[in-house]
Amino acid sequence: MVHKLRCMNTKELLNERRVATRLAIALLLILTIASATPAQESGVHYWHQGAMPPGAIGSRQLQRGGPLPGFFQPVEIKAPPGVLVSLAVGEGFDEPQPVPLRVGMLIGKVYRLRVMNIPLHPGMEVFPTVEIIDRLYAPPDRQQRFAIPIQLTQEELQFAMQGKFVTRVIYLEDPRNALPARGDPNAQNWFEAGPGRDPLAVADALGRPVAILRLGARLPDDKQLSDPHFLFGSPPWLKYPPATAVPAPPAASVEPAAPVEGEPAP
Amino acid sequence: MTRDLAGDDTAVVCPSRLHRSGATAGLPSSAADTIGQANRGTRETNLDRPLTRWPDPWRVAVIALATLILCSCRGPSQRACDVSPLPGPQQAGLPPQAYAAAQPIDGAWSPPGIARPWPRDEYLRDGGDEGLPAGVIGTQWEIFGLEPADTVAHFDTLDGRTIVEPSNKVHIYSPRFGAVRKIDSLASNDGYERVVGVHLPTVIAGPTSTQLVTSSKQNLQADRQIGSKSAGVYRTRWGDGIMATTNRPREYEQDMFLPYENVKVIREGIIDAAEMAHLAAGATAAIAWTADQAVQVILDEQAAMSATADEKLQSVYVVKAPPGDPRLRVIKVADKQDAQPGEEVAFTIRFDNIGNQLIGNVTIIDNLTTRLEFVPDSGQCSVDAQFFTEPNEGDSLVVRCEIVDPLEPGEGGVIRFRCVVR
Repeated sequence: MVHKLRCMNTKELLNERRVATRLAIALLLILTIASATPAQESGVHYWHQGAMPPGAIGSRQLQRGGPLPGFFQPVEIKAPPGVLVSLAVGEGFDEPQPVPLRVGMLIGKVYRLRVMNIPLHPGMEVFPTVEIIDRLYAPPDRQQRFAIPIQLTQEELQFAMQGKFVTRVIYLEDPRNALPARGDPNAQNWFEAGPGRDPLAVADALGRPVAILRLGARLPDDKQLSDPHFLFGSPPWLKYPPATAVPAPPAASVEPAAPVEGEPAP
Repeated sequence: MTRDLAGDDTAVVCPSRLHRSGATAGLPSSAADTIGQANRGTRETNLDRPLTRWPDPWRVAVIALATLILCSCRGPSQRACDVSPLPGPQQAGLPPQAYAAAQPIDGAWSPPGIARPWPRDEYLRDGGDEGLPAGVIGTQWEIFGLEPADTVAHFDTLDGRTIVEPSNKVHIYSPRFGAVRKIDSLASNDGYERVVGVHLPTVIAGPTSTQLVTSSKQNLQADRQIGSKSAGVYRTRWGDGIMATTNRPREYEQDMFLPYENVKVIREGIIDAAEMAHLAAGATAAIAWTADQAVQVILDEQAAMSATADEKLQSVYVVKAPPGDPRLRVIKVADKQDAQPGEEVAFTIRFDNIGNQLIGNVTIIDNLTTRLEFVPDSGQCSVDAQFFTEPNEGDSLVVRCEIVDPLEPGEGGVIRFRCVVR
C-alpha cells in the first residue's frame, strides 16, 4: 500500500514558522512585562484581608520593595489614663510603662503588648498585637514627632475582655479626601467596618494602611506567656522619650460685640 | 528508507522529514536497517490514519508558551513563602542591628525619578494652581477652575484683559491618621493553628560568568569649567526710563514682620540670591530647592543669566521687557514646615507688580484645603484691601482679598492670615 505524505510545501511551512515566531515573541514580551509589575504595584492590599494572621500582611509588604527593611517606625501607643503597657522582650515582657508610650517598631514584625491596670477592671490584662505594615517619610529630625498613633480605647479594651476580637486598621488619610472635621487632636477618627466588610479594604479606600491592631479573643496561660510563638519572637524595638501633648487650640469663641458708638461699653 | 516512506515519486518531501531521516546517515548499514525496520513497522501503523500532528513551528510555539506561563506564574501562597509570622525562638533577644539587612533610609526619601515632596498623602499643599487652570469670566470676575488648595491672583490690565497668576506651592508635613474598626465575636473557643507558609530557599541554577573588560576608555579631564550663575540681585525697573522704587509695606496694625518673613523678597520685593535657601524653607517647606517650584528671577519666563569663564566675563544676556507687559508676581510662604492637627499655621503672601504698566482690581484668592480652617479675623494686608470668605466644596473657606487701589509698576504688598490644621 502506497501512502502519500501529507506534508505542507515549503512556502506554507515558512509562513507558519514566521507566524509562530512572532506569536512567541509577543507572548514573551507580554509575560516579561507582566512579571515586572509586582514590584511596581500600588500600595493597595488587593490580595490581603484584615483577618489574615498577624505578620502575613507586613511580610508581604516587605516584598514589595522600598526602604522598609531595618527601619524603626516611631509608634505612639495611647490608652486611657493610668493604663500600663509593656512590650515583649526575650521570653517575657519589659517593665510596664505609662502611656503614652513612644517606641520604634520594625515593619513587618508583630509586637505583643501587655496592657494592665485597666480602669474599672483591676487585675485584668489584655494582650494585643501591633503589626506595622508601612512607614512614614517624615523630614529629618521629625520622625518621632510624627509617630503612628496606636490607640487603645476603653471601649475596645472592654470588648477584648468580653472575649470579642477587635481589629483596628490604622491608615494615613489622603489629604485630598480628608474628613473636614476638627476634633480632638489627641483622639483618632475611626469608622466601623460594616458586617461582611473587610476593615483593610475599607482602610485602603480611605487612605494608606500603616498599622494593624488586634486585641482580644485569646487568653494565654502562664506557660504561653513565655512562649516565643505567642510573643512572635519578641522582635526588637526602640524606646523613645515621651512626646509633649499638642495643646488644643482655643475654640473659636464669640467675641463680644463692639460697643456701638454713643452707647456705653458693657 | 526515505523511498519506503515516501513511496510515491510525486510526493512532496518535507524538509523536516528529510532531516529526521538523515539521523541514521552516520550509522552502519546493519544498524540503520535494523532501525529502519523498526521504524517502518511503526510508521506503517501511523500512516494508516490521517496525520494530525502539528507542524514543528507550532509545537515549538506551544512549548515556549507553556514554559513561559509556568515560569511566570506565582501564586499567592508562593509569594508568601518568606512569611514567618511565628519566628523561632532563636530570633528573640537579637540586637536591632541584626534585623537591619541594609542601611535603613531615615527621613525624607522619594523613589528615583519622583520629585519631592513624596509621598503626597503626608503633606498638605496650599498654593499653586493644580488641575484645571483657573480663569476669570464675566464682568463680576467669576472664577472657575479653582480647586481646593489653589492660590491665584487675578488683575485687570489697561487694555481690558483679566489675567490670572498662580502663586508658588507651599507644602506642610502634616500626616493625619484614621482607623477602621471591626469587632468579631467568636462562636467557639476551639482553635487550631496551621502553617501559613514554608521556607523554600532557591537553589542557584547555574554559575554566573563574569566577562573581563577587554577595552577601556580614557576619561578626558575638562580643561575648563563653564558655569552659569543666576543674577544675584534683580532690581531693574527701567521700562519707562525711570527707575521705579519698590514700596516697602507699611507697618501692620499689631506687629512688624515675623521671623519667617524676614527675607528681602517679602520685605521689599527684591530677590537676593543669598536668601534663596532661607526662602526655600518657607516657600516649599521641607523640600529641596527645585527649579520648577522655587521662586526665581523671572523676566518674561527667562532667567537673567551671565556666563562666566575662568577669569573674564564672556557674555552678558540682557532681557528687555516689551512695553505694555503687565505682570503680577505672587509668592507664598508659611511659618511652619510641619504641623500636627490642632496647630496654627500662618501664611504670608507677597504680591508685586513686576510689569511695566498699571494694573487694577488686583484680587488674591486662596481656596483652602479641607484640612485648613481659617482663623476668623486673622487676615491682614499692608495696603488697603477688603477680605471676604465664603464656603468652598471641601467644607473649608475661600479667602478672597481685594486690593482697593491699582498697583503701579514696582508696587506690591503683603497679606497675612492664619489657619488651624484640622
